Amino acid sequence: MAAETTQQEEASGPLQRWTQRAIQNPERIYRGLFYAAMVFFMFTTLFPFYWLLVLAITPEGQLLGGSYLPEIDLFGASATFPLPVPQGFNPAAFIEVFDQLPFHLYMLNSFALAISTTVVVLIVASLAGYVFGRLDFPGRAFLMLGILAISYFPPAAFVVPLFEAFTGNAPVVIPFTSIPLFTPPRLLNSPGSMVMPFSALFMPLSVFILTTFYGQIPDGLEDAARVEGTTRLGALFRVIMPLSAPGVATAAVLTFIAVYNEYFFSSIMATSPEAQNWSPIVGGILSFQTQYTTQFNLMGAASIVAVLPVVVLVIIAQERIVSGLTAGALKE
Amino acid sequence: MSSDTAGARESRRSGLGVQVMQWMENLSDTQYAYLLLIPVFVLLGSIALYPLLRTFELSLFSTTLGNVGEFVGAQNYVELFTGQKDAILPGSTTFLPKNLSLTGMVQSALAVTLIFALVSVLFETMIGLGQALILDQDFYGRRWVRAAIIIPWAVPIVIQGMMFFLMFNSNIGFLTPPLADLGVLAPTNTLNDPASSLFIVIVADIWKTSAFMALLILAGLQSIDRGLYDVARVAGATKWQQFKHITFPLILPTIGIAVLFRSVQAMRVYGIIDFVSGCETVPSLSCMVVNTFLTRQGTSAAIAFATAGIIGVVVMLIIVWQGEDAI
Repeated sequence: MAAETTQQEEASGPLQRWTQRAIQNPERIYRGLFYAAMVFFMFTTLFPFYWLLVLAITPEGQLLGGSYLPEIDLFGASATFPLPVPQGFNPAAFIEVFDQLPFHLYMLNSFALAISTTVVVLIVASLAGYVFGRLDFPGRAFLMLGILAISYFPPAAFVVPLFEAFTGNAPVVIPFTSIPLFTPPRLLNSPGSMVMPFSALFMPLSVFILTTFYGQIPDGLEDAARVEGTTRLGALFRVIMPLSAPGVATAAVLTFIAVYNEYFFSSIMATSPEAQNWSPIVGGILSFQTQYTTQFNLMGAASIVAVLPVVVLVIIAQERIVSGLTAGALKE
Repeated sequence: MSSDTAGARESRRSGLGVQVMQWMENLSDTQYAYLLLIPVFVLLGSIALYPLLRTFELSLFSTTLGNVGEFVGAQNYVELFTGQKDAILPGSTTFLPKNLSLTGMVQSALAVTLIFALVSVLFETMIGLGQALILDQDFYGRRWVRAAIIIPWAVPIVIQGMMFFLMFNSNIGFLTPPLADLGVLAPTNTLNDPASSLFIVIVADIWKTSAFMALLILAGLQSIDRGLYDVARVAGATKWQQFKHITFPLILPTIGIAVLFRSVQAMRVYGIIDFVSGCETVPSLSCMVVNTFLTRQGTSAAIAFATAGIIGVVVMLIIVWQGEDAI
């Protein structure tokens, strides 16, 4: 027993000393665990980006040649290096991405769809947010619950009739009757066939965010504006909305990212993955996967190019994203 | 000349505008509320409510090669649940599992969707809790760590798919050999093997959406009264005891809402499967809808409506399990 203690005290390696102190002061263990977990999470979240980069800058001829985990010679003992490394250096893939396919057009399509959806959602959700946040009327709770319930349905539950309607071959019929309403124009492969579903899909979150923000503006400010002679709508767009700028920005950022990320309708409503058909980045990346089946460097480079806008947006607007996601989801 | 007509048009429009504005001023609150909600009704009515009803209607009709046939009542649903529709589903997939073996399960659209949702939400909750506990601390560079943790959530599904496609591709995927040695993945043709592909898409989903869980749980953590920890420390509670008796019970309701929210989203899974391995390999319910809707609208609509129903049942179960405060 006594011998053991002296042995421990004599132990002088850095690890033993650290353990010794950790036993005396458990705070150090928590600190150590904390940093270990932080490094682990940072590594796992960022690693796939690193792998895209490794592939993107590996020259085409080297892609299939050998292992990405090189054997290294470490003081005589050979070991496998635990991180993949690029096999060569060829940044030209980032330019070739735009030569092989009009990848910039896919990205422009994505931006156009995301921005127009954001505008539609902001206008419609602002009106709804004002109504739910500032007015008291019969049916308010029921309508909010209805919007929430609709947001629980999977997009798959809407796609069959929407595709039918956007094809524009037959008139839209009132369900369960044979009364035709009107024949819609052919909207497939046009922005409308995507902006409309996106708006319906992502509007509920914005409605809940804006309801919270608009509800917080003191009544006095709106009343003051009205006394000054502003119309009812004017009060919303000139007083409430500017005062809730952070909330509007939050809703805008979340809608933009949601549309930019969308896969389901983006891949269905643009019936072929061509930029002329308004296919967004989903179509571009799919084309690389199906047409250039072994040019993994192009796939990596295209993905990095397409992901950059949202990465920048997250870094700039992370406060807004955090508050919006938590407010929106927890409110619901 | 042209500016004159433009001016006249302008004044006419503003004249009409003034009338509309005056009419709006005189509406009661209720009338005004419903007036402002008209765009929401139009949008949700045409893009959500009409399609839902029409999906239900279509699911009651037989279809052959794109033509809506005669009224068949619940026959599509009956055939779906008795396995008679399995022949028109892609590949060797089925709707219900043929048997309870692993092979039977991973070929069944219903089982795959439920397994995907259960496993991914379980791991996302645990990892999200870990990430939230880290982000709740004060440390230098917290802002950057938080940005890094959120980024996967913002990555487009198609690029998330590309990342995991490239990591597990049988030509260059460096992760396949070590995991195949462990027996987790099939060593060759990994992305055509149902069990391996299901594993990969679950990992991909956990990678992307843990951050979302983390943010919701973090909001719960930050609403806890810090005074409670001071009391606990004075009483001599260890960190683990503080977590077990203060933190965890207080964030449990938040976790409940987050689980509900995520389960609903996980059960719609389509994009990551479509991109990484294809619907023939990993059949999710949404996958089955997309794969059949061009030729068999009736069947497709029946699967779509059944999917909505199944999600509804799961939502109910979670709400009952958590009690009233889940909504």
